[in-house]
Amino acid sequence: MTIVSGSFVHLHVHSQFSFMDGAAPLTGLVERAAELEMPALALTDHQGLSGAIRFYKACGAAGIIPIIGCEVVVETAGILGEEADLPPEKRLLLPASVGFGRAAGVGYHLTLLVRDFGGYRNLCRLLSRTHLRGPHENSIVTLRDLESYGEGLIGLSGCGNGEAARAVLARAPGRAREALRRLSACFPTGDFYVELVHPLTTDGSRLVGGLTSLAHELALPVVATNNVHYLRSADHRLHDVLAAAGSRSSLPGPLDRPNAELWLKPATQMRGLFEGLPRACDATLEIAAKCRLELPLGEFHFPGADIPKGETPYSTLARESWRGLERRYKPLIPEAISRLQHELSLIDSMGFSEYFLVVKEIVDFAKSQGIRCSGRGSAGDSIVSYALGITDADPVRHDLLFERFLNPERRQMPDIDVDFDSARRDEVIAFIFKRFGSEHVAMVATVNTMTAKSAVRTVARSFGLPLAEVNRLTRHLPWVSARKIREVLATYPECAHHPLRDEGAHGLLLDLAEELDHCPMHLGTHLGGFIITRDPIASWTPLQWAAKGTVVSQYDKDDIEALGLVKMDILGLRIHSAISEAVGMARARVGEDAVPEPFDLTPDDPAVYAQVSSADTVGMFQLESSGQRNLSTRLKSSTFEDIIAQISLFRPGPLEAEMIVPFIRRRHGLEPVVVPHEGMRAVLADTYGVIVYQEQVLLVARAVAGFGLAEADSLRRAMTKGRSREDMERIRGHFLERAMARGVEMGVAEEVFRQLEGFAAYGFNKAHAACFAVVSYASAWLRTYYPAEFAAAIMNNEPMGFYTPRLVLNDARRHGIGILPPHVNESGARYAVQADGRAIRVGLRDIHRMNARLLATIENEQAVRPFRDLTDFLRRTRAELLAAESLVRVGALDGLGITEEGRPPTRDELLVLLPEVKAVLAREGVAGDDTLCLAPAPTRRPEDPGHVSGWGPVRRLSAELELTGLSLTAHPLTLAKTDLEARGVTWARDLAALPDRTRVRVAGVRERAQTPRTRSGNRTCFLTLEDPTGLLDVVVFSDALARSGETIVKHRAYIVDGTLQNNCERGLAIVAHTVSPYVVRADVGGDRVRLRRGVPAGPMGPSLGGAGAPEEESWAAAEGSVPYGG
Amino acid sequence: MGHNTAIKRFSATPVGQPLELFEETHGRMPIVLELFASPWVVHASDVMRRDGSCAAKHAAEPLGVTWDAAGQHPSAFTRAEQVYLIDAIVQSWAIEKAWWDPRKRVSRRFWRVSAAGGVYDIAYNRDDGSWLLMGIQD
Repeated sequence: MTIVSGSFVHLHVHSQFSFMDGAAPLTGLVERAAELEMPALALTDHQGLSGAIRFYKACGAAGIIPIIGCEVVVETAGILGEEADLPPEKRLLLPASVGFGRAAGVGYHLTLLVRDFGGYRNLCRLLSRTHLRGPHENSIVTLRDLESYGEGLIGLSGCGNGEAARAVLARAPGRAREALRRLSACFPTGDFYVELVHPLTTDGSRLVGGLTSLAHELALPVVATNNVHYLRSADHRLHDVLAAAGSRSSLPGPLDRPNAELWLKPATQMRGLFEGLPRACDATLEIAAKCRLELPLGEFHFPGADIPKGETPYSTLARESWRGLERRYKPLIPEAISRLQHELSLIDSMGFSEYFLVVKEIVDFAKSQGIRCSGRGSAGDSIVSYALGITDADPVRHDLLFERFLNPERRQMPDIDVDFDSARRDEVIAFIFKRFGSEHVAMVATVNTMTAKSAVRTVARSFGLPLAEVNRLTRHLPWVSARKIREVLATYPECAHHPLRDEGAHGLLLDLAEELDHCPMHLGTHLGGFIITRDPIASWTPLQWAAKGTVVSQYDKDDIEALGLVKMDILGLRIHSAISEAVGMARARVGEDAVPEPFDLTPDDPAVYAQVSSADTVGMFQLESSGQRNLSTRLKSSTFEDIIAQISLFRPGPLEAEMIVPFIRRRHGLEPVVVPHEGMRAVLADTYGVIVYQEQVLLVARAVAGFGLAEADSLRRAMTKGRSREDMERIRGHFLERAMARGVEMGVAEEVFRQLEGFAAYGFNKAHAACFAVVSYASAWLRTYYPAEFAAAIMNNEPMGFYTPRLVLNDARRHGIGILPPHVNESGARYAVQADGRAIRVGLRDIHRMNARLLATIENEQAVRPFRDLTDFLRRTRAELLAAESLVRVGALDGLGITEEGRPPTRDELLVLLPEVKAVLAREGVAGDDTLCLAPAPTRRPEDPGHVSGWGPVRRLSAELELTGLSLTAHPLTLAKTDLEARGVTWARDLAALPDRTRVRVAGVRERAQTPRTRSGNRTCFLTLEDPTGLLDVVVFSDALARSGETIVKHRAYIVDGTLQNNCERGLAIVAHTVSPYVVRADVGGDRVRLRRGVPAGPMGPSLGGAGAPEEESWAAAEGSVPYGG
Repeated sequence: MGHNTAIKRFSATPVGQPLELFEETHGRMPIVLELFASPWVVHASDVMRRDGSCAAKHAAEPLGVTWDAAGQHPSAFTRAEQVYLIDAIVQSWAIEKAWWDPRKRVSRRFWRVSAAGGVYDIAYNRDDGSWLLMGIQD
């Protein structure tokens, strides 16, 4: 776009990436600027460039010149005379400082624009330096920094919060003059402008006039901006809401913007505002002409790998790969050799040798330290990564294709993801920092955006609603985008009584929340993404501190990829920790040599496959979910290939394409394997003619149309991403032409293309599944041979997997493993295996209110001598009152001490004694033996004199569930067995014996309720319930869900009436007709069991409504049919 | 001679200097406007009395206004059946307050205009499209 006079360029523009101080979406800004025929547009977000790369790309697409910049907070410049000698806190600063974000309340705003690439790198350095000064220091730019990094930058003196502007408004022209003079000295001559903003306030013309005369006096040019914060005038409401919520206050917020003028005004309006000053508007065009930033997108910048002298990265990689190949293939096979040659030459031609070496270095370190790791994703398609030990699945054996990983036709940054033992991931990270230098490593950011829940919270809080009310409004809102709130409220059964449905009271709130959909809220840290660079990283991306004291880039992974920097995902995988720990425990019990390394096993043990195919898979990696268990029974996996297929089939893509049914029918010979072209038969033999894997798409294209693999991968990508009708027609024509040239009939070729088209987008990456299958088999093997160790290791590494710890423990109990309750003399902090592998001793660390100090003290004191009684325990451990109370209530002190009656005190007596003993200890420091004489005050009579605790089973179970979230003594429903049997309930273990389509009634405690997206758009709920004998999979279709959705959300135990589905095609499940709440009452005594954990762990505690409605409310609703209050 | 001798000695009508700087109102206007817009001049509307009220006169009475579509500003207003032609626009600003509360909401565009008798603040109410006289500074 050429620059014409009479137009105008906005040089001070905030997008949503100003994080709670800007309501303009990036794409909206660029589109609007293009619509207004503006030749260029700047982006100046607060103290960062988070939106810059996207903005740069969007502008390029729209044909607008992008000007990247940001608004920083700069220290006070205009200090006159003697005052400059005073320390900052003693100075009397007439215009109050403003600051922003991490520099709130200090300094003034200054707008910086990037002239060229050198300026971009300087701005990155300046921002990094500013943000990284210290974790607890203000992010404020000093004049000295500005001077050192001013090259290539253009400075504008700032909006109304700039120092000069504030001084003019405060009638201190001297200060304003001095500030302008000193700031302008930091920039090359002619690159500092006095910024004029006319926000149509009463002070506006005074401000413009004052600054213009000062600029004239100092011979500085002036430039007009509008400090844009929103796209259109009407959007100011969003900006006000964000600003208020961002500053944790209610509307009008701390700034109290007087009007709605900070929008992207067209050139005529801007020129009208500065009618007497056309040069201020012309200066915007002049600056736009100066700014010629060309980011080198599409180039790659690799970190320095360790290359021996006289070698090249390629020669090193080749040598290491050949060595690795000999280790992997015994005997070496010709396919592997030719494959490696082929891959190495491709890697060399694309220039990625160094990348592979860097990954290898990190993986080698982990392996040398005994840190379990495994590659995942499409990297498994490469024999180089297999030979280097990065991935563990044999690409030759499993037909994995390198071109799916690196396509020579599209030179794209390779992406090797490696999972490490999550318990020891920090060691790997420390190695990376040490190896590459802390200046060269940073984490990748993620941009957290608003969903329905957070958008409603933001608006409600800005409206000043009390927290309880805000919680009430957001409770039970599902995870959907904010645009869908109204739709969800109208259609989702669990929202039938939601308070937000009151359009009169909350209409405005909903309008605003919908508008805030996907608005960036703040920068987060990517779970495991590390950027590693050869130059100091601060010259590539701006850095800042993240929580946990790590340095994080302001760019997210897409931006980093666009810049061509190397990003490595160092992910933590808890199953690795669990496997390592289980192996360790097993070796400790049966001997070091008796337990082989599970990753190195030949995957051919029938006992393992028997367990998988009987759906007994709780805890197995990738095979344990309810959908996978269902698939297990249908598939009857018996080989490693079956496990790969099983992992691939139960994925959103294959599910959506409904591949499972033909796959299973053909596997069991219920329908013939039909392929349109004979070439496909060999390629699709493993999957019975169904295209399941992305690799197969490539092979089919090669077999039928004679495509090269790289070309075939381009075809697959074209079919997957952003395909328009015309594109598809073009691809189709090309494919048919090539196929017919090879003598394939038109009709056949069309049919093959139709199948490719149908499945290409939904297929799963086989390499990824194969890499996972190695881990799945290892976990399945451990579960088969060392079930107690495996369960204990999983409990120690929770949260992980699909199920709650409660279910994992119940499952162990069902397999005949004893669950020994926590006890201060028997348990350590962690779960342990006792009784020669036949029992698990519950650890103390899961008990509510335990802390690290107390756990360590208990373990240390246990080593000295066992605890004798409560007093002894409290004296030696100094346990906090609340923690000790939890221990007593959960039974960890049962059986300790003795009372006058010659028996150990009951839990009630211990609870009465507890504060008294604590008081004595507090008074006397070290309590003497006299505390032994304390007799418990009279308490209520033991409910269950037969049990040492004196508590009945209901109270014991309720306490366990409340304090540990686990049912240690028994499954809750065993207490109501008689009642349930009287109601005609069938137990889970008996269902398999019943015929298909039997009407059944089952009862269970909710384990998981999932409502995945389905192709038809209908909501179906997959409910996983647990009863004392096993797991129940209940399918609630949309009509039943409409009736019982609210019940499912608001209760924890249900009775389900439905039809049993039990056939080999669809597996075992119950199709629900009605789901009714069930309150668990003990058969003896009739007390109600509390199923809810007292205080849920994690950030969504009860104060945020994460715990749902109080249990009493659900009892009342279930028993007295009291309607919900919402 | 007493106090301020120098001032008293200074001739108020030096030779060659006309008494009137400007012959007519029209010629005076740019200077007046410049003074109004000057950042260093304190306006009556900015000065607050001790009780918090404004030093300028405040009123809120409905007006009839003639709109100049070309210049996008008002050109005359009618008050008490008398038409005031607007000589010049001194300043213009906008107010948008409490949009979230329909009872307190204010959304107005203001013009401070110079017309016969002084400087007037007239406002356009965006809610109902009415014109108001908001203040007079004389």
